[in-house]
Amino acid sequence: MKVKKNLAALTPLLVAASLVAATGCDAGGTSGSSGSDGRTVVRIALWNYKTTPEFKALIDGFEAEYPKIRIQPVDILADNYEQKLTTMLAGGDTTDVLTMKNVTDYARYATRGQLMPLTAQADKLDKASYSGLEDFDLKGKYYALPYRSDFWVLFYNKDLVGNADLSHLTWSEYASLAKRLTKGSGSDKVYGTYLHTWRSVVQAIASAQTGGNLLGGDYAFMKNQYEIALGLQKAKATLPFSTAKSQNITYDSQLTTGKAAMVPMGTWWAAALLAEKKQGTNDVKWGMAPIPQLTKNGKTVTFGSPTAFAVNKKARHADAAEKFVTWASGPEGAATVAKIGITPAYTDGKVMDSFFSVPGMPQDKLSREAMQPSKVQLEMPVSDKSSDIDQILKEEHELIMSGEKSVDAGIKEMDHRVKTEVQ
Amino acid sequence: MNTTVLPEDGTREAAAPTAAPGPSRRGGRGGPRRAAAAVGGQVALYALLIVVALAVLLPFIWMTVSSVKADREVFTVPIQWIPRSFHWSNFTTIWTRIPFAAYLGNSFFLSVVITFLQVLTGSFAAYGFAKVRFRGRDLLFAAYIATIAVPWQAYMVPQYIIMQKLGLVNSYASLILLQAFGAFGVFLMRQFYLTIPDEISEAARLDGLSEYGIWARIILPLSKPALASLALLTFVNTWNDYMGPFIYLTDNRLWTVQLGLRSFIGEYDAESAMIMTGSVLSVVPVLVVFLLGQRYFVRGIATTGVKG
Amino acid sequence: MSPVSVFSSSSASPDSAPPDSAPPDASAAHRAAAKRRRRRANLVGWSFILPNFLGFAALTLIPVFGVFVLSFAHWDSYSSPRWAGLDNFRRLWNDANFWAALKNTFYYSAGHIPLTLAVSLGLAVLLNQKLRGVRLLRTAFFFPYITSLVAVAVVWNMLLSPEAGPVNQFLHFLGIAHPPGWTSSQNWAMPGLIIASVWRDMGYYMVLFLAGLQTIPAELYEAARVDGAGPWQRFWHVTLPGLRPTMFFVTVMLTVASFKVFDLVQVMTEGGPGRATLVLSQLIFRQGITQGRFGYSSAVSLALFAVCLVITMVQFRTQRRSER
Repeated sequence: MKVKKNLAALTPLLVAASLVAATGCDAGGTSGSSGSDGRTVVRIALWNYKTTPEFKALIDGFEAEYPKIRIQPVDILADNYEQKLTTMLAGGDTTDVLTMKNVTDYARYATRGQLMPLTAQADKLDKASYSGLEDFDLKGKYYALPYRSDFWVLFYNKDLVGNADLSHLTWSEYASLAKRLTKGSGSDKVYGTYLHTWRSVVQAIASAQTGGNLLGGDYAFMKNQYEIALGLQKAKATLPFSTAKSQNITYDSQLTTGKAAMVPMGTWWAAALLAEKKQGTNDVKWGMAPIPQLTKNGKTVTFGSPTAFAVNKKARHADAAEKFVTWASGPEGAATVAKIGITPAYTDGKVMDSFFSVPGMPQDKLSREAMQPSKVQLEMPVSDKSSDIDQILKEEHELIMSGEKSVDAGIKEMDHRVKTEVQ
Repeated sequence: MNTTVLPEDGTREAAAPTAAPGPSRRGGRGGPRRAAAAVGGQVALYALLIVVALAVLLPFIWMTVSSVKADREVFTVPIQWIPRSFHWSNFTTIWTRIPFAAYLGNSFFLSVVITFLQVLTGSFAAYGFAKVRFRGRDLLFAAYIATIAVPWQAYMVPQYIIMQKLGLVNSYASLILLQAFGAFGVFLMRQFYLTIPDEISEAARLDGLSEYGIWARIILPLSKPALASLALLTFVNTWNDYMGPFIYLTDNRLWTVQLGLRSFIGEYDAESAMIMTGSVLSVVPVLVVFLLGQRYFVRGIATTGVKG
Repeated sequence: MSPVSVFSSSSASPDSAPPDSAPPDASAAHRAAAKRRRRRANLVGWSFILPNFLGFAALTLIPVFGVFVLSFAHWDSYSSPRWAGLDNFRRLWNDANFWAALKNTFYYSAGHIPLTLAVSLGLAVLLNQKLRGVRLLRTAFFFPYITSLVAVAVVWNMLLSPEAGPVNQFLHFLGIAHPPGWTSSQNWAMPGLIIASVWRDMGYYMVLFLAGLQTIPAELYEAARVDGAGPWQRFWHVTLPGLRPTMFFVTVMLTVASFKVFDLVQVMTEGGPGRATLVLSQLIFRQGITQGRFGYSSAVSLALFAVCLVITMVQFRTQRRSER
């Protein structure tokens, strides 16, 4: 009882002390607008700074060229980056540069008026050398400039594919090759291919190659691609969708542990595979081939998604921030990221050379060809309905791939839901 | 104390002080056959509980096994219960891959402060709600309960804006203020205080104790099990919270364990084994708290005060 | 210490004034005294609540109130809100996702609430005995609550796997020819989710019940034994009535938590397959923070709130009645 009484007397003190301690821990540096060395400090919102080498490369490159400006990362977890950014901006945050993970999010921030217009800077760019720049055109205005632009290719395990020719595959050739490459059973089973659980694996490819509109409300154009995917699954030439989904299977392990011979995936994977090799966690011999096509007409049509930097409307140092964004998306920025195996938005011969000079990058002709598609379509067109439609397409994709619905029934449901549910 | 108090639902008159002469110990009155049956029952109960407990632990066992795997061997088909290769080094590298020790310290600081404040202010307010009758009490209590029914996802942005206006964003103060004054503790303690017969505090009142004195010297010591469970659950919830610290703590130096673990999830890939290693390590403090807290799960009170 | 009457009123409140039997000339002074006493009680009462209430009001009550206002507005989190009248509720009425989520949330709660209540109460009673190693057992049953959600999702999805999962193999063994597809089937995903969530939550509520069990006087059990009551009768006539306040707390918290379920669904099924396990909190999260329709997400929250309110009020009523 005595102890209790003393405790009761002490509590107000303890409360006060802990609150003071807590506020005392307030992060320093968040309000710093210029460093002690007189350099302008530009703060940039990005994700997983330590494990995403492109950010450090860009910051170091820029600072070397602009010694008067210091770039300070605001590190946010990749997992819920958009949610955090939205909340911060709602509170009136003044972080100068904002990284835009994809075009749908970009459009949302831009139409809310949270981004500074960069149209003048965009107009100065050599548009023919950019992939994904026009995706940021919102009614003639630009609010962000892309610095990287990933698109989909066919990754393959050289040992498992052997001498099969992957140069101009059609989807049906790809399917029969995948079935041919499938062997073994039980835990030794090697699948001919692995189709990841994302809806884009089927739907965005179909849209890019048939010209079907993902926002249109008529999804008959997906039928062919679904039949190929389900055919592979039925022939047990790929891990079943529901298993992959419920067991959180990663596409990386499918290729690097020799479980699958061919995996369609985005070019961002190249840098990750190189990093793994460097750390010694995998020794798989891999290469890239152009994504298979509907017909053999010599053209390579694929889909992709650019990543960009934007300037916050409430930026403290808008001028310096603009300098960084323009630099990063231009030839110098492109050369910087290409050097670590990342696909820049701006490309020319020199940039491609530095991309392929990264140690460990496959050097063969086919890989080079894969990196130069004739056309890259944006993964999901921009509209205020994109997210709602995206959700519907994802749900129906799950049902078709897990066999809960037939292709026809699934597509019919997509048509119906997009027409009636999207308001 | 020599007070003779009946529990409120006083239906069982027999419960009164009779100080029953105790032939009622388990198995004590039935002779050997009954005793054997009781022992058999005990053994069966144990066997059942242990089997069930093991089954219950299955996901945790998998998590522990995965913590010594290589990243890409974590998620496999079929599931692997014995790692192909053992990477014990996961448990040493995690301390340098991320500032894990600092994150543990931050989580611990936050959990302790929040738990302390929640228990203190919650049990204090609960006394007002349970034992003092005053104007507006029931309305106020209804307001507390009502907020529980609104999901945090709905009001996190308005809340963030208020916090930003107060200049508390990106500091521990924001999280502490946010989580220390919830309805959970108030409601839990109020319900517990309702089981303490009013006669006890009435007697103390006649003895000249103030209401604050009654709370500190009579009610608090009587409510150890409830305080322990409130503290335990608050600690665990704060320790495991991800979204709150994620939204409010931007500066890397302030991050908690849960944020540290999520930092292994990249834009395109994840270091799954590291996540499992960190998850195993982050369970340890909670485990210690849980084992310690259980000391208070004993019938602490002579509720009826018959011991004389 | 003077003995206290057994028959004192159930709530010994300072303002329970004695009946008006005092002589008329004293009544004015008496009333003044009563008034003073009441004011004092008010002060004392508020002083207890205030430390908690200040923090609670500023950071929870006001934002929650904001949700109510926002549900009548269009708001993108940045520009100033625009008055929307009943637009958001009209949208709600026509939103197939809302009705699906509402139905799923009810389905989930209808399974999750009674099962969790029964299992956690059973565990608490079992593990409240003086058994050797009971602390370890209690800890084991609390583990699901502190195991990483990803591990929970993966292992449960494995256990419930349609072809190779042990659950279905067991069902096969029992002679069920076509066991369910669990989380990969639209019809069975929700039962699968409920099983996993009961497993996860039972330890949490067990802790609350354990605390509640300590408040039941041992003498009541002794007396019941003397009366010849068996374990079941003791459970029904001593344990359950004694647990009433705890039971009420657990039921309310469990109900609300169940209707607000988010994390486990998000990790285990993401609302799928299709939208078979989409719940209201997910819809609120998606529409609000992800898509920036904060007005609409507030309207959905209001609907969720209304559901919880009605159910909680019923629970309050039942509790009142059983107290009498």
